[in-house]
Parts: sequence; C-alpha cells; structure tokens
Amino acid sequence: MFDNSDESSIIDRFKKGEKAAFEEFVLKYQDRIYNLCRHMLGNTSDAEDAAQDTFIKAYQKLKDFRPEASLYTWLYRIAVNTCLDYKKRPFFESLFKRGDEDEEDIPEAVSEAPSPEKLYESKQLGLALARSLGKLSLKLRTVIILKEIEGLSYEEIADILEVSTGTVKSRISRARDELKKYFQKIMEQN
Amino acid sequence: MNCSKAHKVISPYIDGELPEQDMKALEDHIKVCSNCRAAFEEGKELHNLFTYTEEFKAPYGFNTRVITNITSEKIRGFSRFPVFVRLAEAAVIIVVIALGALTGSLAIKGNAPDKARDIMASLSLDVFNSAPPESLGGVYLAMTEAGNEK
Repeated sequence: MFDNSDESSIIDRFKKGEKAAFEEFVLKYQDRIYNLCRHMLGNTSDAEDAAQDTFIKAYQKLKDFRPEASLYTWLYRIAVNTCLDYKKRPFFESLFKRGDEDEEDIPEAVSEAPSPEKLYESKQLGLALARSLGKLSLKLRTVIILKEIEGLSYEEIADILEVSTGTVKSRISRARDELKKYFQKIMEQN
Repeated sequence: MNCSKAHKVISPYIDGELPEQDMKALEDHIKVCSNCRAAFEEGKELHNLFTYTEEFKAPYGFNTRVITNITSEKIRGFSRFPVFVRLAEAAVIIVVIALGALTGSLAIKGNAPDKARDIMASLSLDVFNSAPPESLGGVYLAMTEAGNEK
C-alpha cells in the first residue's frame, strides 16, 4: 500500500535527528489518519484532536520503532487506540469535548451523479450509511472502517488490532450483518 | 457447499479474501440456492454503498499544528517526568538546604557569644550619637557639663 523504501528513509533520517523528516512523515500520512479518526469518532473536532494526538505519540515512539514492522500499520494502531480512548473517556470529559454518538456530524455524502435526483438519492444513502455505522459497537465499527473505508487487507487489520485474521474475518461478517439491519431500519424510517 | 458454510464465506468473498476453490464453490452454490444468492446480492450492495462515504482530508494547517504541539510538549517536558524523578529532585534540594544550614551553624560554633554581641551591637541604636563632640550640640553639651562642674 505504501512504498517501504520511503518509510525506511523517513525513519533513518528521523533517527539521525533531521527535523524535516518528521514533517514529511506527517504530510505523507495526515489525510489517511484524519479520515480514519473522522469516521471512527464521527465529528470534526474530536477527529482533529485524535489525529493530532496520534502524531504526537508517534513522534515520541518513533525512535523505538522496529524497522521490520510496517510503519503505516504501526501508525494506524496508534490512531485506532487513540480513537478508542476518546470513545471510552468519562462522561464529564465528553461534555467539554464533543464525542457523543448522538452529536456526531453526519458526513456529506459524496456523489458522482450529475442529476439532482441522483444527487439526492446518493446523499440519502450516504447519510443512512453514516448513521448505521454510528450504531455499531466500537469493535465492529473499527473493523468495517478499516476494511471498507481504508481498504486494508484482513492481515493488515489483524496486525493493527493485534488479533488473528480469523477474528477479523468473523468481526467483519458480524459488522456487515448488523450494518445491514440498521441500514434497512433507517431507510424504512425515511 | 451447504447454506451455513455459504453464509460464512460471503463476506470474505466480497473482500477478495477467499481461496480460489472456495470462491468457485460459493459461486456454484448461489447458482442453485435463491436464499444464499439473495444474501450474497445484499452483501455486495452493502459493500457498494461505501462508495457514497466521504473521504475526509486533514484540515488546512494540520501539519503545522502538529509540529507546534510537539514543540510545546518538549517545552513542557519537565511535567512529563515520572513522579519519582520529581520527588527525588525535591529531596535533593531539601538535603542541600539542610547541609547548608548545618555547615553554617558549625562554622559559628565556639565564638557564638562574640558573634551574638557583634550582631546586637550592629543592630543597636547606640551607634547613632545624637550630638557628636564636633557638632554645635556637642560643644553646647560640653560647656554645660563644664559649668555644672564649677
């Protein structure tokens, strides 16, 4: 998915104390990490904070990074754990930092359809899907986002979540079953 | 392939994570089983729905904010030391102050009465003479005292 030689060059330069290497690292991964956090947390404010925290943690840990591991799965692991921590934070903290499921900013649906009817339909489908995703448990939401939105393989997801590929397979299957139910229910209400 | 097995492999089939022989077996099964075919079609529809999700980009200035936050984290580095390190630092400061006080008291030990007298003398108001002998007041006082003696 990413060029390994680029990854090892960034790490080598960072370990030699080159400041620009980390800035390059942030620029390279910021959109992917922000996209993941945005889908995991469901709102802009928490997503930016979690993505920022992810890079700060990565900066602190990058010196200890083992070159035999994959840099982007390592970074995804930090991002997923940071998002899970945001979701598990106590209620009083969520009062100051938005994160409640009900308060999620529903993303704008993307449409390639030119006609207004198609545009409306695409938007409705995107909104219903976003709402359905928000209803999934954290475990199931994480695997389905990593699979369907981030386009990672079962092996990569297993590596990020530190579980077996069998677990990933069954969680994705369950996530799809539940998502289907929520989606149908939401479409019926509409 | 039976229906139970087919249901289990629909999801990995959609994700392209199924071995070729299982793919073939599922394809053969859904040709003859309408229920599994419907489940397969629903799964594919759900998978296709994700094309409607938005791809978010990091907000403008995100990378600058990350670098700024990292710099300020470094400045606030002290507070990130573990508690035992901070306690050890406080203990060292207390020991240094205590040693200083002890050394000082030992240095003045033995001639303490003289030192104390000097200190009291330096603090006394007696050092201020209200009428020094060379002043007009001093001359007047001297003359008065001489007159009294007579």
